Amino acid sequence: MTTTLTEPDATTLGPRPRFADTLLCEWTKLRTVRSTWWTLFAVLAVTIGFGAIVSAAIVGRWDRMSLAQRLAVDPTARSLTGFMLSQLFIGVLGVLVITSEYSAGMIRSTLAAMPHRRQVLAAKAMSLTPPVFLVGTLSALLAFLSGQAILAGKGIGVSLGAPQEWRAVLGAGLVLTLEALIALGLGAMIRQTAGAIASYVGVLLVAQLLLSALPDPYGRDISEYFPFNAGRALMKIHTTPDLLPPWSGLAVLCAWAVVSLGVAGWLITRRDA
Amino acid sequence: MIEAQHLTKLYGPTRAVDDLSFKVVPGRVTGFLGPNGAGKSTTMRVIMGLDAATTGQVTINGTPYIRHTHPMREVGALLDARAFHTGRTAFNHLLCLAQSNRIPHARVDEVLALVGLESVAKRRAGGFSMGMGQRLGIAAALLGDPGVLLFDEPVNGLDPEGILWVRNLLKSLAAEGRTVFVSSHLMSEMALTADHLIVIGKGRLIADATVTDFVSQSTGAHVRVRALQPDDLARVLVAEGAKVERVDDGALRVTGLDCRHVGALAARHGLELHELVLHQPTLEAAYMEATQDATEYRAAAPAS
Repeated sequence: MTTTLTEPDATTLGPRPRFADTLLCEWTKLRTVRSTWWTLFAVLAVTIGFGAIVSAAIVGRWDRMSLAQRLAVDPTARSLTGFMLSQLFIGVLGVLVITSEYSAGMIRSTLAAMPHRRQVLAAKAMSLTPPVFLVGTLSALLAFLSGQAILAGKGIGVSLGAPQEWRAVLGAGLVLTLEALIALGLGAMIRQTAGAIASYVGVLLVAQLLLSALPDPYGRDISEYFPFNAGRALMKIHTTPDLLPPWSGLAVLCAWAVVSLGVAGWLITRRDA
Repeated sequence: MIEAQHLTKLYGPTRAVDDLSFKVVPGRVTGFLGPNGAGKSTTMRVIMGLDAATTGQVTINGTPYIRHTHPMREVGALLDARAFHTGRTAFNHLLCLAQSNRIPHARVDEVLALVGLESVAKRRAGGFSMGMGQRLGIAAALLGDPGVLLFDEPVNGLDPEGILWVRNLLKSLAAEGRTVFVSSHLMSEMALTADHLIVIGKGRLIADATVTDFVSQSTGAHVRVRALQPDDLARVLVAEGAKVERVDDGALRVTGLDCRHVGALAARHGLELHELVLHQPTLEAAYMEATQDATEYRAAAPAS
């Protein structure tokens, strides 16, 4: 090993670790665990698969559908049906990125190696963003294309020409990314896998259900500001009165992510590891 | 060097660490002993900046842990056995830690070889035995080649060869001038490994002494002497202030004087000696005696 050590001074310790090193560490952690890749693959498979199945079902049923039913079919939205399930998968990924450290006891090694805790959280968020955004957008794009190719059989497919279609596809990537960040924040707050996933599902879906029980217009108005509907608003081709305008939907989702990570960041520095 | 000053940690009403002050100096192995629940792990976590002290402070080389610019290069710790993600390979586990502190990749291979895990570097850590997991933790502590090392129960789960390896590793690290702070329950190992002891109980300091001093100040230490004229010898020794007891087989059990002193007194008074032995209690016995009031969780003695 090395020879006898004297009092260490900065010059003998080598280059000083910076945030970039924390980021690299978190990226390595993310990419070297199989659950990351399985989850992203599941997002791809489910989004494309369900989109194709639903599109094929519409094509199969088209001749027997009434005019009203035919008019209600939104080709883009239908081809992206699988996206709903992907949001659950991505929540699991976001939660696991942090809670797996607590369950394994690794968090102590992590926070000992990188004592600046908010930087660790930020690095986890930043390393999650590119793969989730890429896979989210890619899966939406492929689902859209394959779905429209199937629907073209009955002449109801749309093309990616119009900006609204691009908004739906890129919006899927953005929604998935922001939801992963919301889940990351929840995981850091709750520090326990099952509880954090339950909270994520609660925020995403259960809140929606409960709010729909409130009398109109309260239920609808409040639920517009919850992640699920805010995400739908961003991806919706034709704006509808029961949802926010698209960019407001994005802003609301961003706010959720900022609050989730902000509270998590505040807590992580205050609490014992 | 690790220096704790009036360190106190409260978990609600419980005083896990109570006004603890000590220094762990480089160049020797310092053992950290105490019954279960004494606050050893808590103290180590506070030293590492993982838990915040309620009052008081602890510094490593003069700076609190969280303010160190190169954490892993200054301090290495093994606090939890098997504290790693089961799905990650040993290599990747060490790699991400190395990357976090700008430690070169080559160092990962080095420490893996050092702990004897190079053949399983690419295996998922979840499949490791307890001993292998322990070695991986030690490897992580050594990654930055730090001057200060903390080990919490490092020989847990190791086979005799592994235990010997750790013992030699700790001693060689201390011989290199590093600060080595080891907590363990294995008294026999501590007796062989440690040079200095810090003993705590119920969060408070009980002893801060060299192993020799700690053992000799326990009541078990005595000199056993057999003389031709035991009564005369006993009288002489008592006059010197020693405590003398007659043992069944005719020998005397002398407390308060060492062998040299007893031998010199006997010679001065012309008394013939047939046996003169120093009986040192084991570290275990000395420890039990020192911590008997501080043991929180004591099993009932088996019914005889």
